[in-house]
Amino acid sequence: MRAALAVAALVVLVAALAAVPWLVSDYGLGFMINLMCYLVLTVAWALFSGTTRYVSLATAAFFGVGAYSVAMLVKVMPIYATFGVALVLGTLMALLVGLVTLRISGMFFVIFGFGLSELMRELLVWWEINQTHTMGRYVFVPFDTTLIYEHLLGLAVLVFLVGWLLRRSRLGVALLVIGDDETMARQAGINVPLTKVMIFVVSSVFMTVVGAVMAPRFGYLSPEFAFNPLISFTVVIMALLGGMQRLWGPVLGVVPLAVLSELLQVRFPFWYSVLLGLVFMVIVYFLPRGVTGLVEDAWALLRRPIAMPRGVTGPFIDAWAWLSQPVLLPRGIAGAVEDTWARLTRRQPERR
Amino acid sequence: MAALLEVDGMTKAFGGLVAVSGMSLSVSPGEVLGLIGPNGSGKTTLLNLIAGAIRPDAGRIRMDGEDVTRLPNHQRVRRRINRTFQLVRMPPNMPAIVGVMAGVMYGAEPLRYKDAEYEAAGILGELNLLLKAGHRLDQLTYIEQKRVELARALATRPRVLLLDEWLSGLSPGELEGGMSVVWSLAAQGIAVILVEHVMTAVRALCGRVVVMNAGLKIAEGPPGEVLRNPEVIRAYLGDDDA
Repeated sequence: MRAALAVAALVVLVAALAAVPWLVSDYGLGFMINLMCYLVLTVAWALFSGTTRYVSLATAAFFGVGAYSVAMLVKVMPIYATFGVALVLGTLMALLVGLVTLRISGMFFVIFGFGLSELMRELLVWWEINQTHTMGRYVFVPFDTTLIYEHLLGLAVLVFLVGWLLRRSRLGVALLVIGDDETMARQAGINVPLTKVMIFVVSSVFMTVVGAVMAPRFGYLSPEFAFNPLISFTVVIMALLGGMQRLWGPVLGVVPLAVLSELLQVRFPFWYSVLLGLVFMVIVYFLPRGVTGLVEDAWALLRRPIAMPRGVTGPFIDAWAWLSQPVLLPRGIAGAVEDTWARLTRRQPERR
Repeated sequence: MAALLEVDGMTKAFGGLVAVSGMSLSVSPGEVLGLIGPNGSGKTTLLNLIAGAIRPDAGRIRMDGEDVTRLPNHQRVRRRINRTFQLVRMPPNMPAIVGVMAGVMYGAEPLRYKDAEYEAAGILGELNLLLKAGHRLDQLTYIEQKRVELARALATRPRVLLLDEWLSGLSPGELEGGMSVVWSLAAQGIAVILVEHVMTAVRALCGRVVVMNAGLKIAEGPPGEVLRNPEVIRAYLGDDDA
């Protein structure tokens, strides 16, 4: 019954989100596209990084591969075919990168992810200058903002579905255990490298396809734009703000940060990056478990039984005790005389 | 009875230090083999070699007639070799049952997710831990942690089980309980290799003992006999004039 209600509520929510393009202005739709884009990226990022605890800065690399393959191919094939090519390229790159890098750990992996997106960008710049003699590409296709939005919404539904299924699967348990203790995971019979590569591919393919769907939105794409490292960093911060213990955690990070960055960009176009950076630092320092942690704490607080260990009579007993206590002369008149005498006869500390 | 696990000429050096040198041993189903020796004699390294956590420089390991020397850790688990660690290794941030479920789903007789929870609960129940299934590692007592780890190892359905000081640090009452657990494992036909300093347990449980010192096997035989061996006494206590 509860499950049926939850499913019904989700269907209504998705339907409402699907209706957004006909309800809001062009500016509003642009904002919603941005939000959906980051939502899918962040949930996909958390699928891999939230479970294995590898901090990936390769988001921009996969996003860029998706976006730029559409930009390069859209003149020679239908748009859905370019999406397909992007998907295949993203899968291959994720496999290659996963097999090579998932043996290195911690900081090295972080640097590698960042380096990968820079490398891809430089390679493409070199290719465009020396081989194709173009800088930047126009993506003019009949794929309007409404279509982009609906595709991103579809991807969001899909990525949540994948995450939900994952948490109820063998692979999901294996990932949880790997994230906590790799040695123990091996001793449970889990093929640790293979499992990591699998989830890395799933996560990266989502990022690639998001990039592909976003390409028509930009209209004009250069390698610098497609492989923008800010994408990688924003996704990390959004995931950290949201918290990754729950599947819905990233939502709580994406929505406020998307709103905030929109506001900052409008109000303080020149100080935008600085202010966003400050916000990032505040988040990392003060919300280590993300907004999810706050929500869970609040929930636990609300569910806590009201403290009344001594029952209903407790407060009355307290009141009686307070009232019946001699307020002015707790030890009676004799006590007051003694105290006064003691105070008067108290010896002063000697001075030397 | 034919040996289930045969280790032949295992050698492993870390830099210039030869931790294990030409060690050979074998263990049969239902046997409890004691592996003893002073600290630093290479017992845990040998266990790591058998479990597949590290690769040997030389030597062979055969499990049920199959050469598993080159197989990685997780594949040896599926070939029914499992272990516990000297310092308990279970996921610290999740319920105890999750680690056991992982073992059930990825072990030698893998089950689907749907059935894994039930099976894992059963294994925890056999070790009197059913009520602790939802507890995190740090909410368990030391002995419970050790038992949860054993449950994870048993979840993979091992035929060879390596226990690294699984009985150490227990009170006399707990030790008795732990020993009866090891006994019941052997009674189920599991071949147990017991690395242990608790000699009461070694004497009571092991039909045969292998003694290591400085990476070498210095004695092998029934515990009563081996522990009277002058070379073993010298390894543990030093020379008379030392």
